[in-house]
Amino acid sequence: MAPSLVNEDNLSAVLHKKGDLRLENRPIPEPRDDEVLIRMAVVGICGSDVSFWTKGNIGDFVVKAPMVLGHESSGTVVKVGQKVKHLQPGDRVAIEPGVPCRYCEHCKSGRYNLCPDVDFCATPPSHGNLCRYYTHAADFCFKLPDHVSLEEGALCEPLSVALQACRRAQVSLGHTVLVCGAGPIGLVNLMVARAMGASKILLTDISASRLEVAKELGADQVLLVEPGVEMSQYATEVATLLGGAPDISIECSGAESSIKLAILATVSGGTVVLVGLGPAEVKVPIVNAATREVDIRGVWRYANCYPTALAMIASGSVDVSKLVTHRYALQDALLAYERARTGAGGAIKILISCD
Amino acid sequence: MPDDNLSAILYKTGDLRLENRPIPEPQDDQVQIRMAAVGICGSDVHYLVKGSIGDFVVKAPMILGHEAAGVVSKVGKNVTNLKVGDRVAIEPGVPCRYCDFCKTGRYNLCKTIFFCATPPDDGNLSRYYCHAADFCFKLPDHVSLEEGALLEPLSVGVQACRRAGVTLGSTVLICGAGPIGLVNLFVAKSMGAAVVIMTDIAENRLTKAKELGANFTVQIQPGQTAEDTAKVIEETLGQSPDITIECSGAESSIKLAILATRSGGVVTLVGLGPPEVKVPIVNAATREVDIRGVFRYANCYDAALALVASGKADVKKLITHNYKLEETLEAFETSRTGAGGAIKVMIHC
Repeated sequence: MAPSLVNEDNLSAVLHKKGDLRLENRPIPEPRDDEVLIRMAVVGICGSDVSFWTKGNIGDFVVKAPMVLGHESSGTVVKVGQKVKHLQPGDRVAIEPGVPCRYCEHCKSGRYNLCPDVDFCATPPSHGNLCRYYTHAADFCFKLPDHVSLEEGALCEPLSVALQACRRAQVSLGHTVLVCGAGPIGLVNLMVARAMGASKILLTDISASRLEVAKELGADQVLLVEPGVEMSQYATEVATLLGGAPDISIECSGAESSIKLAILATVSGGTVVLVGLGPAEVKVPIVNAATREVDIRGVWRYANCYPTALAMIASGSVDVSKLVTHRYALQDALLAYERARTGAGGAIKILISCD
Repeated sequence: MPDDNLSAILYKTGDLRLENRPIPEPQDDQVQIRMAAVGICGSDVHYLVKGSIGDFVVKAPMILGHEAAGVVSKVGKNVTNLKVGDRVAIEPGVPCRYCDFCKTGRYNLCKTIFFCATPPDDGNLSRYYCHAADFCFKLPDHVSLEEGALLEPLSVGVQACRRAGVTLGSTVLICGAGPIGLVNLFVAKSMGAAVVIMTDIAENRLTKAKELGANFTVQIQPGQTAEDTAKVIEETLGQSPDITIECSGAESSIKLAILATRSGGVVTLVGLGPPEVKVPIVNAATREVDIRGVFRYANCYDAALALVASGKADVKKLITHNYKLEETLEAFETSRTGAGGAIKVMIHC
């Protein structure tokens, strides 16, 4: 049974320009034939949302017009478009935020994350879903099993980033894995790598408290890295702690020194996966990678990962709720974003409730 | 048969001498080879001129040469695949056979590999040389010894094209039209690449590339940005290449390789340059353009030989200069300067 539309407003968190985030009412949208209208429930904050808010751009994506933030989300279907068969009002769904064009070569070869015309929530100029009502392509909405919460549904998004990374890295049974960076992305990679069979996982970070959390979440080893120390020294330490150079490194920070560490540390013939994004050009020991056939593979969002992410949560093979440290109501979105920006109080994943 | 073993020995930077050495006896699993043809590689020249490549430093006299072929003159006790008189191409790297890299088929990454003319291992630019018999490949009657020597650089091309995933219909950009760029051209075409476009700074090298089968060539203009060159490539092809094989090692060329490649594609780095280079890695990462290095080759000699034996790759065209062993210093000078449009300089022993 469809829930009654208690609030008829569509309060939305709108980024007008750098530094100018406002809560405003917007019209409630109508779903197209292949879309559903969703009463938003939970939206997580991502580092990219914070970047758009504080810098006004990420690379070539520039905020030129007011844009609703938010892309890590879940909600309840309240209306379905004419052609929609697999969902009905009342269904709780996780929302995969990027809807590709479906026509180009990338889409047709299964790598729709690379579609140049993808409509991606909260990447300019597309609106996000940190609001009360939002429409989305129905086939990019995934029904949650009864025992999976709406919070867990929202966390499918960062979990999918980790799935894409671990798949591109081909993490498998018995592999040893280095994860650089113990923020939310490093932590979901820890969880997914473990679920995919990694035997030993080591996390690095510049923050001791983040490494504490990593240990609680199952890291076999952690390594605190300090500025000024040679990365080659850390590479040796990583090998010592893991009992050998890692087969795979998943770099989640984007920092130049960390990318260097990932390359130097990885076993010859292994793979470095770059998830973290940093400056456009970085100095890297590429000859070291090349002459040891250490492959470098980037990750851009994800494709065909949501069903697996949801299945992993549903089966209990990952417990993403442990990442949630703070919760806010939509009305307090600015406070939520401020905490996300500063990381105060050991913030890892901050969720906003849109009810 | 000569009874001397005249050898080209690098004593130290800039000090290359021709001297006699004892004729070696083959171990049980080795063959003794009367050397015939040895090509000069950029790495040989580099050791002569700089005395080191990365961590490999010439600390003691070392015989140069690793792109080689000859005739079996003696066989060790346990050798069954070859007999005296067989003409063979010599795969220069003999791995330990015991480590994990060796056992998983990536023997090129073996840490204790013996490799001709990489310090401290002697090469085979001499009259006689001994080598593991299973790393010697018998040449069919119609394949010459010079072609046998060329299997070495050709194998670099096979490793690169395999690591790049070149296949039927691939659109391939090759950066650099020196010998390595050209062997990649041969191999890419043989693997079914539909279109190969090549870049270089030298017009004469691009002319040669066209003669050898490149569909398109683009000369790198001084002052032109990598972004602009990438656009020229895309406009010329009507699309971005799926695969780029970078053969020069130059920072600007690596940058071009990344920017030019289609999202979801592969950049293969063959050329070696400075140890740290500035690269647009976020561009590669966010478009899932994979970067895969190549270090020598493993299990490529058979494929390289089959390609040459089929007659479909006229690798002899790469040989521009021929010298006798006694003229080695002159040969190296030609290779070093690139005089007379030198591509592959061959020394006959």
